[in-house]
Amino acid sequence: MTLNVLQYLLQISPLEGFFFGSGKAMVVTGVALIILIGMGLWLFAMEKRIARMNEHVDELLNSQTLKKK
Amino acid sequence: MIQNSWKIGGLALLAYVISMCFLVPLGPGLLEFQDAQSAGVVAELERKVSVYRLVGLNTHWDEQPESLHVYLKHKSSLVELPVIEVNDATHANVGLVLPDTIPSKSWDVFTSHPSDGTLLLENGLFTEGFVIDKEATWPSPEVTEFTSNLALHFPFQPRIFETIRNLMLHVPMWFTMFLLMGIGFVASIRQLSASQSELHDLRAEASVQVGMAFGILGLITGSLWARFTWGAWWVDDPQLNGAMVTVLVYAGYLILRATVDNKRLKARLSAVYNLFAFVILIILLMVLPRFTESLHPGKGGNPGFNSYDLDSSLRMVFYPAVIGWMLLGIWMYRVRLAAAALNQKLQQL
Repeated sequence: MTLNVLQYLLQISPLEGFFFGSGKAMVVTGVALIILIGMGLWLFAMEKRIARMNEHVDELLNSQTLKKK
Repeated sequence: MIQNSWKIGGLALLAYVISMCFLVPLGPGLLEFQDAQSAGVVAELERKVSVYRLVGLNTHWDEQPESLHVYLKHKSSLVELPVIEVNDATHANVGLVLPDTIPSKSWDVFTSHPSDGTLLLENGLFTEGFVIDKEATWPSPEVTEFTSNLALHFPFQPRIFETIRNLMLHVPMWFTMFLLMGIGFVASIRQLSASQSELHDLRAEASVQVGMAFGILGLITGSLWARFTWGAWWVDDPQLNGAMVTVLVYAGYLILRATVDNKRLKARLSAVYNLFAFVILIILLMVLPRFTESLHPGKGGNPGFNSYDLDSSLRMVFYPAVIGWMLLGIWMYRVRLAAAALNQKLQQL
């Protein structure tokens, strides 16, 4: 949505500096957003994986304690 | 979902920051006022004059070129220069017409245009071959001032130009590092007061590890910025050297941890070290810059930002950037802490 608003703003008032004239701003923004989303997904996946492993290790530790008893 | 809302919020803030950071255009400004090494004719004066080339960035002089006014200014003395020709949106030829006796060799150049408003190029002209009389005055012309009617844009600042966008990346890195090192500091205090548990030690370690990542990113983004604005990757500046020393001190913390095998000893030693490291951080990055001159903006008594460094268009991106990067930093810290706690449990098996 932000991108659409900015595109609209640029259309009604185009500023043609080298940053925009070259068209690289959109590419840079796209790459940065992909990296950000990728990082977010990776962090979510890591959290899930750690939580799953934690549960598994807790089960193992509990069973070990029971065996000792 | 509710538990994850602050994480999604942080990512959304950063997506907004990245979009705004790279897509909001830079406002107009003046780059150069140079002798074009040629002579031109100013019709109203019916004589030949030296032609100077005025260069702007993101200006719109081709829209209503007849409304472009160019002035030279020294204190209260003001001279309007005749615009010979507007070549395109960013280039114009201007005739240099000055009396024989002038009050100064150095002049500010400023322009007024309906689209761009009033733009200033400080010390844009250095004149030679004139008689200098500091008392010389002449009647100032009436200045036609316009207010810029451009859409949202970042302010044009001399020497910084497009790199002003780095503000959203460089400064929040340090703020996030301060926050994480602060978490580590509190964890170290709690570790010392409750030495039976190693949880606080894990917290301190995780926060320093993630804080170091942000500190290194702060150094890299700062070095890139310095190369563009000051012409060198690194300059001998108290703020820069202080930042480097701080990162090295925290690197020492991680090295210290790696050299001690006894867990309880490691926890206590590194907690004490971390307390001193945080004090050094405060002194080098928050106290020392107040007493030293520095190239870094906002220094020489005031390490904070002022109206020159930030305007409303920057604030609406900068503040969300600080919050967004901090949330991401805290998230990374929590993941790192969870991984460290899991590792500790695995060692018990």
